[in-house]
Amino acid sequence: MGAPAGPSPAVPARLLRRFGRRGRWAILLLGGTALLAASAFVGPVAIPPETVAAVLLHEVSGGALAPQPCGPLPLASAVCQSRIEIVWDVRLPALLLAAIAGAALGVSGATLQGVFRNPLADPYLLGLSSGAALGVAALFILKVGVAEANIVLPFLAFAGALGTGAIVLAAARRASRSVETLLLTGVAISNLLSAVMLVLVLSNPIGSLQVTFWLLGGLGGATWARDGIALGGVLVAGGILSLYGRELNLLQLGPEVAQSLGLQAARVRTRLLFLASLATAMAVAFTGVIGFVGLVSPHIVRRLLGGDYRVVLPASAFVGGVFLLVANDLALLALPTSELPVGIVTAFAGAPFFLALLYRRRRAVPDGGMP
Amino acid sequence: MTDGDDPAFAAEGLTVRLGERTVLHDLELRASRGELLALTGPNGSGKTTLLRAALGLVPALRGRVRLLGDATGELPIRERARRVAWMPQDESAFENVPLYDYVLFGRYAHLPPFAAEGPADRAAAEAALREVGLWEQRQRGIREVSGGERQRVLLARAVAQETPILLLDEPTAHLDIGHQLDLLERVRRHCRERGRCAIAALHDLNLAARYADRVAVLSRGRLVADGPPAAVLSEALLREVWGVVADLRRDPASGLPYLLPRLPARDRGPRPETPRPRRVHVVGGGGAAAPLLRALVEDGYRVTAGALPLFDTDLEVAEELGLPTATEVPFAPLGAEARAEHRALLDEADAIVVAPFAVGPSNLANLEDLVGRAARIPVFLVEPTPISSRDFTRGSASALRDRLVADGARSVADLAALSAALAPRADPDR
Repeated sequence: MGAPAGPSPAVPARLLRRFGRRGRWAILLLGGTALLAASAFVGPVAIPPETVAAVLLHEVSGGALAPQPCGPLPLASAVCQSRIEIVWDVRLPALLLAAIAGAALGVSGATLQGVFRNPLADPYLLGLSSGAALGVAALFILKVGVAEANIVLPFLAFAGALGTGAIVLAAARRASRSVETLLLTGVAISNLLSAVMLVLVLSNPIGSLQVTFWLLGGLGGATWARDGIALGGVLVAGGILSLYGRELNLLQLGPEVAQSLGLQAARVRTRLLFLASLATAMAVAFTGVIGFVGLVSPHIVRRLLGGDYRVVLPASAFVGGVFLLVANDLALLALPTSELPVGIVTAFAGAPFFLALLYRRRRAVPDGGMP
Repeated sequence: MTDGDDPAFAAEGLTVRLGERTVLHDLELRASRGELLALTGPNGSGKTTLLRAALGLVPALRGRVRLLGDATGELPIRERARRVAWMPQDESAFENVPLYDYVLFGRYAHLPPFAAEGPADRAAAEAALREVGLWEQRQRGIREVSGGERQRVLLARAVAQETPILLLDEPTAHLDIGHQLDLLERVRRHCRERGRCAIAALHDLNLAARYADRVAVLSRGRLVADGPPAAVLSEALLREVWGVVADLRRDPASGLPYLLPRLPARDRGPRPETPRPRRVHVVGGGGAAAPLLRALVEDGYRVTAGALPLFDTDLEVAEELGLPTATEVPFAPLGAEARAEHRALLDEADAIVVAPFAVGPSNLANLEDLVGRAARIPVFLVEPTPISSRDFTRGSASALRDRLVADGARSVADLAALSAALAPRADPDR
């Protein structure tokens, strides 16, 4: 069989194979940047590109450049001010948060797939996201004020994700041979945590709508402060994770083989799971539960750049960021007037992908290639 | 650290428990540099567990394995990986990485933390890939290569690890015979040329005898024999440890023992209880007798066969059918022992069938032994083609055949004619 799993976007993959490795990297990076820029134009209020560009220039330069960000158009200053706010205070933080959260989920998914040798692993499917979400829901019970929320949220989310990660790791030790066991454990834990969370939310009706919406995954709550906190956490977790590419290369052979090659397999596994939980928690804390980004991104990377984790980890972060950004654009384009939670879009894209992987893998099993 | 007198590998009073079961009992085993030690024994005898204990993957209850003098459990994982490399039985890669990168994974224990591979590492990987003959294919993915190539890649990775000790767990499993020989040849060469100590768990005793300098036999977690293959492998040992009856022969060319094991008669399972059919002996060779053997067994005769060389198709079929046979080493003239066995079978037969086999100097005796018998019992010559087309003895075979016919042997054209000719007299109820 071919690659471990992976969907078969046969035609684009074959096209891309014509370029060298560097070429493929360049395509990835340029494409991603272009998408990020283009995303700034997308939103319920139509703002022409030149205005967006002018607003960005105005804010970035502290008003030195483009003193009239709304251009030569005869706009009332109030209108212009509102556009500045839309672009700079709403759209941009949301885009940045999408990129950050997507990157966190992507790198986390790649790590989980390598650690568990499981092509279907993903922070959402293994229950890490639900764990983090439960941690966040606890906030609404504790009724922490908004001022402290930004600081407290990530910690609660992290605690929740870490607890779930420990359970999943224990499950993986018991049944290391079966891909399905691990996933089913994740699904069961995820359901249990969701049930607990619903009890918490229902017992405290105030703010339950807010929580429900947040649970579906959205970028509406993005602010510069939240972006900063999330970025900090993701940079730490993702940065350290990216240093472990070589170790993951060995771990994907199984813990025993990895140890025979000189790796402290048990210790490194725990450490990687800790970091993946941190990255997941950063995403969940501010965007809610967004599924499948961590599943899809590493598979796209493998197709384009191969299975070396020194490449897969950072590239999955990048692809995850772009993926969530595009999903957000699609959400805005699909229902411009009401805010469609981005988690719904990723589910539409990711669930069929997951099923394709699952059935493809089923067929591949007899050759014994899968752990 | 390493002492001059220390063996590379030493199990000392090693006792391992897995759950409730004691898998290794107080095991003592040594191996030194330059040596290929075959570890053999029935399933569940503890071969794999011994290797895993040496790697520190299972803890020792008592005793220890020393690698170059130091106990495995006391060595840091990194240092352990610089002393011993492992070729596991079932390793599957999750990612489809190129073979070159896969072999480079073997260099991890030699790298400083977070450092990239240097020229020395790349040189080691290249040398290892060349050694197994896969350098040209280094960019192929590990999940795309055949089973034989995969085993060679695993060997290359272990070689690239540059450890004094190599542990190979069933390295020839899933390989065809050509690849089995090729892999063990490479391992042995590696041991001798680089002074490495290799311990290979092997199921195939003939391979063990052929390639190993020494054979260690485990049975129920205990060492029951240890020494050169010729000294260790015996019919008694095979019966005792594996519960099989074996014809142990010596390869005339190399003097190495080889064997052809089979289950003892009582273990062969239920046989159809026909009212004591008559006994038919089939003379054949080279596959000529195979269809006859099958058909006669199906017809309910008690069938014997001979004298056949080892590895002969007819012999394989006879073994598969569980028939008594007289055997001889391949390509050698029938020896006194084989002829005696053959005559004994002929003496007990109620009828003799001569398959249309090619007759050469080495098996002419098969026909000679039939002389005079056609007068006493029925002898059938199955002759779809005349003997002259199968006679490679310059007429001796043809002359013998004519003599048999003169004595009363009947010539039949094919299997159907043979069945018809045998039936009236062979059916005990008539």
